[in-house]
Amino acid sequence: MGNVKSTPFNLDKPLNSYSRYVRLWKTFRLIDKCKGISERRHPMFERNRAMKWMGYLFTAFWLCYLMFFGVVMGNIEAPVEIFDTINGWLPIILALDFSTRLMLTDTPAQEVKQFKLMPLSTSFLINVFLIRRATSFMNIVWLFFFVPFGLMCVVNYYGFIGLFTWCLSMWIIMVANAYWYLLWRTLLNRNMMYLILPVSIYAIVIYFGLFDDDFTQSFFGNEHVQPVYWGFLWYGRWVMEGNVQAYLIPISIIALLYIVNYNIQIRSVYREIADVQEGKVKSREMVFLNRFGIIGEYIKLDIKSIMRNGTIRKSFITGVVCTVMLTSLSAFTPIYDGNLFMKAYISMYCFCCLAVIQLTSLMCPEGNYIDGLMARKESVLSLLKAKFYFNLAMMIIPFCIFLLSVIVGKSSFIESIGCLLFTAGVVLPFLMQMAVYNKSTVPLNAKLTRVRNNSSMQVYISIIALFLPMGVMYVLMVLIPTWAPWIMAGLGIIGIALEPLWMRNIYNRFMARRYANMDGFRNSREFLS
Amino acid sequence: MKLELTNIKKTFGEKVALDIDNYVVNYGEVIGLVGNNGAGKTTMFRVILDLIKPDNGEVSIDGINPAQSEEWKQFTGAYVDSGFLIDYLTPEEYFSFIAKITNLSKEELDERLKSFEGFMNGEVLGQNTLIRNLSMGNKQKVGIIAAMLTRPKLLILDEPFNFLDPTSQLAMKNLIESYNKETGATVIVSSHNLVHTIDICTRVTLLEHGRVIKDYDKESHKDIIHEIEDYFVGNVK
Repeated sequence: MGNVKSTPFNLDKPLNSYSRYVRLWKTFRLIDKCKGISERRHPMFERNRAMKWMGYLFTAFWLCYLMFFGVVMGNIEAPVEIFDTINGWLPIILALDFSTRLMLTDTPAQEVKQFKLMPLSTSFLINVFLIRRATSFMNIVWLFFFVPFGLMCVVNYYGFIGLFTWCLSMWIIMVANAYWYLLWRTLLNRNMMYLILPVSIYAIVIYFGLFDDDFTQSFFGNEHVQPVYWGFLWYGRWVMEGNVQAYLIPISIIALLYIVNYNIQIRSVYREIADVQEGKVKSREMVFLNRFGIIGEYIKLDIKSIMRNGTIRKSFITGVVCTVMLTSLSAFTPIYDGNLFMKAYISMYCFCCLAVIQLTSLMCPEGNYIDGLMARKESVLSLLKAKFYFNLAMMIIPFCIFLLSVIVGKSSFIESIGCLLFTAGVVLPFLMQMAVYNKSTVPLNAKLTRVRNNSSMQVYISIIALFLPMGVMYVLMVLIPTWAPWIMAGLGIIGIALEPLWMRNIYNRFMARRYANMDGFRNSREFLS
Repeated sequence: MKLELTNIKKTFGEKVALDIDNYVVNYGEVIGLVGNNGAGKTTMFRVILDLIKPDNGEVSIDGINPAQSEEWKQFTGAYVDSGFLIDYLTPEEYFSFIAKITNLSKEELDERLKSFEGFMNGEVLGQNTLIRNLSMGNKQKVGIIAAMLTRPKLLILDEPFNFLDPTSQLAMKNLIESYNKETGATVIVSSHNLVHTIDICTRVTLLEHGRVIKDYDKESHKDIIHEIEDYFVGNVK
């Protein structure tokens, strides 16, 4: 379907160009205001005032932390000027900025939907949403670091004008980063393989451009040169000295990214709006699961949910990719060699990663048909058991890859068994607690970017699930290195053996909170639909 | 199967959604709940099915309080909305799933599905389509069939005529009538279609703002349709 060219406004009489621009500006302000209100009145916040205030508190804390960090960094005595180091290491800040943007939601192509039937051209709407990206608060967050930092050190050398030109340049670079992020998010909606694009780009730039002396020396001869580091360093100095030509570089990048984004968003609009019907489905019986009775039926349900629902499939693939990457890092690179803490970190992450991704949103996909589940006796109990056994079975993936570490002699076999059993018997039961607290329906087939329903409890439990086992393993490896894997394995076996008890406990607590949870699932489902 | 609601009250903020002193449904009755939007029909179903908690009062299904025991689920079938459907399964998979978790054999399932062939009208089975890709009417059929598959003693259907074409609406009427006659089950349906509701029900209950304002027994009220129509006409401003 081609683009429909519609008049931006219903006009009773022709306007001169000045009036036209005034109306365009007013429309922009109106849409901007609409979007601002929709963000402030998001149903998740409307229903959870505590979470809303926690969000504000967390933001305030984060900004204060950045300011504090800026002041501390600005006062560091170093052989080279500290602002040079910050300039040189800007790619790391950009990577951090990119990762904080992961919580950002819709792409302009998705935002257009609500306004599509209004007498506004699609092109105008896309431009509005792209411009909103540039004026977003997210782009000035890092100024809470750069301004105090600059006041401590840049002002001494380049004065307040130097500080201003430098901070302005940092804002422009953050806008470029925002457009780069947006481009990646839109591509990710088309194909999950784009997941590796920013990871590989930032990894290559940071590792080879900032750290790897062998690479840079071989590339630039015998001189000790780190091209990315020095490039950013000189750019920073150039800006501080007030050379306005320096702005041309990031502004050109922004212009390029804006054009690319605009074209991709325009092409994505119909794709986002269209309700694409799936083709014929081939039913697979999975007879081998029949021997497990009702639990087997729920395992089949879980497998079909992963295979047939976009959101669930994407999070499962993400989990598997993360697991494979982490385990491969441990097996094939020297990054974590000789560091006990990092060994505990990587070993536990390999096993926990998939389960954490899958189980932190436990019951959220089921929120779509929770009424049907609740109408059958103890079906939620069977479902939870099936989820536990399925995730237990899935641990074969990290275990098999982890064996590579064992083969290359980086870990012992008993260590891998210890991690496996500890995750199965301690981490999984811990994550399964989410069944009690989750009450927000996840849309089964929405784009990854549109899933925005992490409750504070989800965040706490996933953080604890990732860091507690790592801490336990580290402490055990420091205190009793020989016995550490055995103790972990023992704890895991106890956890697995006690499964009927803790599972029943989870189910009873779920039933005690069922009205609130069902209400939450129903409300969020209605909102999503 | 006897159903009793005693002193049930449910409010959403200021709004009273349900306020019932005492309401009894006896064995084998076919009850039709009618009323305007917001009258409390769906809320009543949700309270009976323990999907929402009433502020006051209690429900009894054959002496079982659904808020305290799950045993009532063994003999109750219900379809309220698409929140009952696992929509990433095909209808066949969904029916098979329901059959397996309720201990129905494959033969029993096939036999029971055969009795719904007319109702399905060749549009539900054998399509190799996920439930979410079916039309609203066919989704409705899947939900209703799934609710009836286990031959429950209590059948609750919220607006079963919605989304159905005229042929399917007539088939639905026959289905409910014959099901009640064959099994002696208690059936409660809500609907905005007065003619269909009055045709199939032995008793019609009129709800307004969460309260039961009229309870018509078909035996003693021969002209229910006009009485109810008068009520709705009176509401038109």
